This record gives sequence, C-alpha cells and structure tokens, in this order.
Amino acid sequence: MTRSQLAACAIAATAAGFAVGSPQPPSGAHTRPAPVLPTALPAPVRPAFTPGPALPIARGRFVTRWAPVRRAVAARRRPNTRAAPVARVPTMTPDDTVNIVLVRDSRSDRAGHIWVRVSIATIPNGRTGWVPRSALGGYGTVDTRLVVDLDRLTATLFKRGQRTFRARIGVGRRGSPTPRGRFFVRDRLTRFADRFYGPVAFGTNARSPGLTDWPGGGYIGIHGTDRPRLIPGHISHGCIRMRNVDILALGRRMPVGTPITIR
Amino acid sequence: MTGGTVLRLEDVDRDEALLETIAALHGDTRADFLRKAVLGSAGMLALLGAPPSASAAMSATDLDILNFGLRFERLQASFYTEAESMGVVGKMAPRKQEWARTLGAHERAHVRIVKEILGDRAGPRPFFDFHGVTESEDSFTRTAVAMEDLTVALLTGITPRMRDRALVAALFGLLTTEARHAAWARSIVRTTPAANAFDEPRSLDGVHALLGRTRFIVSAPRVRRRRRAPRMTG
Repeated sequence: MTRSQLAACAIAATAAGFAVGSPQPPSGAHTRPAPVLPTALPAPVRPAFTPGPALPIARGRFVTRWAPVRRAVAARRRPNTRAAPVARVPTMTPDDTVNIVLVRDSRSDRAGHIWVRVSIATIPNGRTGWVPRSALGGYGTVDTRLVVDLDRLTATLFKRGQRTFRARIGVGRRGSPTPRGRFFVRDRLTRFADRFYGPVAFGTNARSPGLTDWPGGGYIGIHGTDRPRLIPGHISHGCIRMRNVDILALGRRMPVGTPITIR
Repeated sequence: MTGGTVLRLEDVDRDEALLETIAALHGDTRADFLRKAVLGSAGMLALLGAPPSASAAMSATDLDILNFGLRFERLQASFYTEAESMGVVGKMAPRKQEWARTLGAHERAHVRIVKEILGDRAGPRPFFDFHGVTESEDSFTRTAVAMEDLTVALLTGITPRMRDRALVAALFGLLTTEARHAAWARSIVRTTPAANAFDEPRSLDGVHALLGRTRFIVSAPRVRRRRRAPRMTG
C-alpha cells in the first residue's frame, strides 16, 4: 500500500468514527447508527473528591525551624569535628523536657556529613554553634514570633507577620534585668502546684547573667503570676510575667520553638 | 506478593537508595541500620495506629484506610516541603527543580483534600524525622524515587479495599497521579521509568513495616510537661 493509499484509509476511518459518534439523523432517515456500547453498563462512578489545584510552597520568610537534641553533643565554632567547642548541648532542659535548638543554617562537609548551625543556651546569651545533623531529631516549624519590649513593658505575638496578641508585662528589676537579644521558647509547663508562676509557664533559652547559680541555671521564663497588681512594672528576677488571663491566651497561641526578640 | 505478606524494604526500594542513604546519614553500616530499623518498627506500628495483623487490616473501615492515606500523604508533603524550604531544591538544575516543586505542590494538594474529606475525624499530624535526607540533593532525589514507588505500592494495595465506590474512584485518581510521579522521579535519576509489567498490590501491614524501617515517622519530642514546678528565675 502506498503512502497516499494509507492516508486515504485513515481519513475514511476517521470519517466513519465521527459518523458513529454523531447525533441521530432526522426522523424518517433510513439509517440508524449501531449502538457502540451495551446499554446495561453501570453509570460512571463520580469520585468522592478531587484534589483541586496544586499548592505551591507558602512563602518561608515567617517560618522558623527547630529540632530536638537526640544525643548530647558539643556545639563547635565551625562545621568540623576539629573546630573548637563553643558549648555542650544536653538532651534535656532543667525542667525535664526534651532540649530543642533553633536551626539557623545547614551545610555538608567534604565527607558529605551534614552540619547544622543552631542557637544554644549559654552565657553569654545569643551564641550559636555547629552540631552534626545526626545529633538532632526531626525538624519542627513555627510561623509565630514574640517581641518583648522592655521599655514599653509589652509582649506582642505575631503569626505570619500579623499581630495576634499583645499584653502588658512585668520584667526584671534593677540587679536582675531581663536580658536583651534573640531567644526562643524551649518548653511549656502546665498544671504545676506553684501559684507564683500562674497557670502556664514557657521556658526559654535566655539566661540571667547575674543568677547563674539559681536552681536550674538561671533560665528566663514567660509565665503568669499570683500578684497581678504589680503588672506592668520592673518586678521580676528576670522572667517575663503576665496576668494569668494573658498567659492563658498566649498559651493557646504560642507553640514551642517560637523565636523571641527581647529589645 | 499478596496482601498480608510482610514486605521487605528491598521490594519497593529497588535500588536500595533509601536504605543506603539513611544508613549513611546515621553513620551506620547497612546491616546495623537494618537491625535497628527492625527493632524500631514495632513502635512505628503503634504510632501509626496500625492494626496488629493482616486480618485486622482487612476489616478496617474506609475511614481507617483514608486516615492511613492521610498520614502517608503528610509524610510525602512534608518531605518535599522540607527540602524546598531548606533551599536544597532551589540549588538543583532547572528540570529537577520543576520536578521537585511540582511533586511537592501535588502532595500538599492531596493532604488538603483528604483532610477536608475526613474533617474532624482526620488523625493528628505525625512528627517526622527525615534524618537529613532532605538536606542534600543526592539523598533527597534518591529517597524521592523510593518514596514515590512506595506510594504507588500503597495505593495499589488499599484502593480495592475501600467499600465506598466513590472513594475508590477518587483514590484511582490519586493512584494514577502517583504512578506518574514515580515514573517522573525514575526518569530524573535516569532509571527505567516503568520497572515492571505489573504493579503487585501491597498490604497495609506491609507498607506499615516499610515505613517503620525508614524511621521517618517518630514520636513527637516531649517539650510539654505537666505537674512539675518551673525552675526558671521567676
């Protein structure tokens, strides 16, 4: 069969196909199309759902990443086992919760091992160090940020850049000031018997420079109070105190891992 | 392989990419990793709310099956999202970027719709630990290939078990999409896109066991504590 004959056959077959699929001819016509499918087939099944459009990744500028410490490890100045240690990073906090670190950066060394730069709890405050990725667990993410203003005595929570909470606070008095800098929420404690801390307390990685011999190492927390009339004011040993109604509201909105700016 | 038979990781992880990658990241030998993984898989089953036996799996309701599907879709979506947000995807060649971003966007859409369908009966989001495989291009790509193959295996196994035909029809839509993902992933690493003439159905138990061996789904770290007085400065 020549190429032109093949083309003619194809055209004829296509035309026949269209004829079969075309509407019925007007009444009175002599020809009826033969049924293509048996009439007894069940109706098509309508899917219970369809996923809809694809979801591109949300903009990441509000996202902060944290990770639990799976094994105690030395944080180092550079991503290298021979680099000088900055601090020891334990697996547990003084409050007996799993220690977490804030993830700042990651890179591979020449051998292909991954190192992660993390914020750690040290004196002086605000230091970072490199730890092997294998010392950390899976990453968690948050899209919240707490800003504490020591001059205005306010704490403001943002979620994806939008303000969602603000409260007046009590902060450290002279002699035990609340440290300024960038920190994060390490844990959340509830249902404890000590009314001094109110109903909810958040632990942070911030440390009081002057109270390092405090039980647990002098960590700064964010918590309620049994003396709400003192708020706002410079009243604490460094912790950030709120009225109980406010700490309960914050407790519903602020996840562990939230970065904190104290300014 | 038929439903109810426990799978080996090698059945789906054909190139053993998943196994080798994770073992290397842990600094383990392959044998050490497998030994630990087997020990860890029992806890994994509990975490997934898995039925303890194949017969229990067969009697699972559509809700249970769909909730398992949701966990798996969340695993995939988190995997691609983490790699993209860590900047690994952005450093890849353009054709690989398109592949990774597209698959991630699809998986997130799958999570959204399955969550919507389950409503308040959707299970909680598990905590994931990808052990660093999302942080280098090579390990991410190799793991993605194994994960997409595993997804096809899972959907091939669970779809016929659904009782509601409308859900079956919907899962077929996911299955064919995931099969395209798997073929695309394989073409990215220049492996045969269609490895077999027929994809064997996989049992729910088998996929549970495979997931357990990856150790990608872990217990959430205990960052909350009750009934213990704070030790902060006050």
